[in-house]
Amino acid sequence: MEILRTAKLQKYFKLSKTDYLHAVDGVDLTIDSGKTLGVVGESGCGKSTLGRLVLGLTPATSGEVYFQGKDILKSNKAEKKENRINMQIIFQDPYASLDPRMSVYQLIAEPLVRNQLCESKEEIYDRITYLMDRVGLATRFINSYPHEMDGGRRQRVGIARALAPNPKFIVCDEPVSALDVSIQAQILNLLMDMQDENDLTYLFITHDLSVVKHISDEIMVMYLGQCVERAPSRELFAAPSHPYTKALLAAIPQPVLGRRLNRNIIKGEISNPINPKAGCRFASRCPHSNPKCIGREIPTIEISQGHYVTCTLFQNN
Amino acid sequence: MEDKRLLEIKNLSTIYETDDGVVNAVSDISFSLAEKETIGLVGETGAGKTTTALSIMRLLPERTGRIVSGEVLFNGENLLKINEKKMRLIRGANISMIFQDPMTALNPILTVERQILESLEIHNYDNKSGKELEERVDELLELVGIPAARKYNYPHEFSGGMKQRIVIAIALACRPLILIADEPTTALDVTIQAQVLALMDDLKRELNTSMIMITHDLGVVAETCDKVAVMYAGEIVEYGLLEDIFDSKKPHHPYTIGLFKAIPNMQEETDRLTPIEGLMPDPSDLPSGCRFHPRCNQCMEECGNIKPFTYTNENHIIRCNLMKGIE
Amino acid sequence: MKSKEILGQAPDKVRIKKKSQAKDIWIRFKKNKTAILGLIIFIIIILVVIFADIIVPSEAALKQNISERLQGVSKEHWFGTDNFGRDIFARIVHGSRYSLLIGIGAVAIGITIGGILGSVSGYFGGAIDTFIVKFMDMIMSIPLMLLVLSIVTALGTNLVNVLVAMMIANIPQYTRIVRSAVVSVVDMDYIEAARACGASNFGIILQHVIPNAIGPIIVQATMAVGVMIINAAGISFLGMGIQPPTPEWGAMLNEGKSFMTTYPHIVFFPGLAIGLTALSLNLMGDGLRDALDPKMKD
Repeated sequence: MEILRTAKLQKYFKLSKTDYLHAVDGVDLTIDSGKTLGVVGESGCGKSTLGRLVLGLTPATSGEVYFQGKDILKSNKAEKKENRINMQIIFQDPYASLDPRMSVYQLIAEPLVRNQLCESKEEIYDRITYLMDRVGLATRFINSYPHEMDGGRRQRVGIARALAPNPKFIVCDEPVSALDVSIQAQILNLLMDMQDENDLTYLFITHDLSVVKHISDEIMVMYLGQCVERAPSRELFAAPSHPYTKALLAAIPQPVLGRRLNRNIIKGEISNPINPKAGCRFASRCPHSNPKCIGREIPTIEISQGHYVTCTLFQNN
Repeated sequence: MEDKRLLEIKNLSTIYETDDGVVNAVSDISFSLAEKETIGLVGETGAGKTTTALSIMRLLPERTGRIVSGEVLFNGENLLKINEKKMRLIRGANISMIFQDPMTALNPILTVERQILESLEIHNYDNKSGKELEERVDELLELVGIPAARKYNYPHEFSGGMKQRIVIAIALACRPLILIADEPTTALDVTIQAQVLALMDDLKRELNTSMIMITHDLGVVAETCDKVAVMYAGEIVEYGLLEDIFDSKKPHHPYTIGLFKAIPNMQEETDRLTPIEGLMPDPSDLPSGCRFHPRCNQCMEECGNIKPFTYTNENHIIRCNLMKGIE
Repeated sequence: MKSKEILGQAPDKVRIKKKSQAKDIWIRFKKNKTAILGLIIFIIIILVVIFADIIVPSEAALKQNISERLQGVSKEHWFGTDNFGRDIFARIVHGSRYSLLIGIGAVAIGITIGGILGSVSGYFGGAIDTFIVKFMDMIMSIPLMLLVLSIVTALGTNLVNVLVAMMIANIPQYTRIVRSAVVSVVDMDYIEAARACGASNFGIILQHVIPNAIGPIIVQATMAVGVMIINAAGISFLGMGIQPPTPEWGAMLNEGKSFMTTYPHIVFFPGLAIGLTALSLNLMGDGLRDALDPKMKD
């Protein structure tokens, strides 16, 4: 059952009268209830902006976002308030995402108080201690301040805060990128457990393909504001099709012997996101680019069940 | 492998004296580096990797950092005993360092050319002319894959990957014998990381530079290093050749095993990851005996009381009581 | 609007004491010897302000006694007497009230108004920001003394008007400081997190932005009080501010300037008072800035 859907979502940042930065350029995605969509890409691909657009934290330039069937941008005040409760976000930086002047109690209480979700102070307290227990934070930290805790604990506070209003949908914006490897694993397990327990839907944004593999049901690869490939998780790793996806996978250093640096390393740098020309934005770096790739919109082809690629290599005509 | 030791660290211990007490950042570590060799210092935040690098370079914060014991032998000479003037001759010319964040490693108000020249001018021992130094700048930029015409640009005009290349160019300008790279690609995108690592590999071969690669990424270690030292809470818990560390059939320190298990594996299908429970200990309040014992799932009674047993098998060293039974 | 009080602290069931940030800052501040010195001097001055009447009856500050004029330091007149035979010590003690009132008053009101303008400007950006910034630039482009003098001339030379003039001259500076502090905070993730929680703009400014931006503001404010006191003294010195016989320190300097070479004690003590007050505030401000900066911590 679909819980989130976007249609031709676009976000352009106006830099000057003539220059527009195409952060997100025509993204269509759907996520079913209880599932995780992983959004993968490197810096500048627009994945973080996409996360904010989907939540309504950033206004879209054009396109629609449907949450539980309703366009969130056209909602009335009451619906907007409900959406605020149902759609939450976990941030990447455990240092910047918590107000340094607030204690753990106050941080987790904020969404409860602002949305008047609890009847009494006792109820707030109970909910906070329950959440702290679920995310693995000892109660003794309840009056601690962010600077007194390490990254992993801070991130748990962020997760508890996101879970506090009992949302249905959470955007996880690189929630483990800033953490040590052993802590990453702890937090990822926690997120997966929370999903099972509370039937949550995740939009999981990351640049780390190995992380997204474990947590996602479906994965979307983004490059310069556009989706270049989308497939069920297993399928994407078994049969990566878009040249960028392949390059991304090949670039990941593997902790196994025998894979020294003689791989096909992709050349060049990401191209300019300001006023990009029509056509495939990866063409300048693509080893398979040909004249068909530039100048016109590249169609999206479904090469197998649920597996979509936006690339001229898969066009038949 | 151990015959021509370019750099030898013997029982190095470094502390920080802070307002909140003494922090034992590095405790009694030893390792060596031969010519043309790359050693990986692997560990998580707080393991003491950066402190080790700063100790070798003698760049610890003046007010708080102090090397309390040990030797740093560079070509036989103990760097900890020479005066600052001599040390400055070594920095940049013989041992060079590059840091993690390319965004802040370059001075934003100086052109790239000026910054590369700085190192060349300081160590201009054969009195090369200005013109010759300029040519060297061009040469270095081409070497790292940046068109020489861009040398008058400022750092902000380059992308992250290119900035890191410039940083590498500066570090290698004087053809140092050893390059210390502190998480050089952590802040970069994965495709750019691949480019930069390949570049570093090429340069190493061309210039015969040895390297100390500090990283938390075991994948990077596998692709760039010849030897590995696994650090935890200021100590080296496992040390050996790349083949020793990455061979799952050989014995390993429980922390090493934990690290490998905690990485989401691209090859296998797993439902849950196996993290290492708990956190790295507070360096001002370290556990007794084996520093890893509170988190170790194979902890024995003695582990909290005595210093762990040192297992040695040719070049493979493991500090763990579990190794007592093994030949 | 829900205030932070409602978020409150965990109830007494879990009263685990944790070092709050304020205490942390105080501990760091305490370590700074010069800052503590400044604090002590300032506390003494404040005590003088509060207990002026007890220290010396107010009439003593105005009582003229020509027979005792131009006397130096003595047991009866601790700071000597001026050209009208008035006891300088008494005048300094009572004059403290005026100087500090103007200094603190001008800064307090200036911060409040400047703070509101700066917050709005920094938080919302866009046209509002441009408008406020340009308007403040306009005021700032007029040299301070000129601005204050014009206002005082127009409105009349008395205490209140001097205060108003100082305040107006002050506002652009605070708008700028608050604005830049707000701008540095506004992009932080935790602001976005608050928005995701459903907080209104006003709520965010009040609860998240201002408490985090307050650091630089406090530092600037303590130092500005010193500056304001000197400026107020300067105006009175020019004869445009508080008029004699009111014992304002600057006015005292004005009155005593013709005797500077012959009876220097008449200007020495008011000058010392002004200097000490400003110094103590500067030392405190410096100490506060260092204490608030977490990077200074080793």
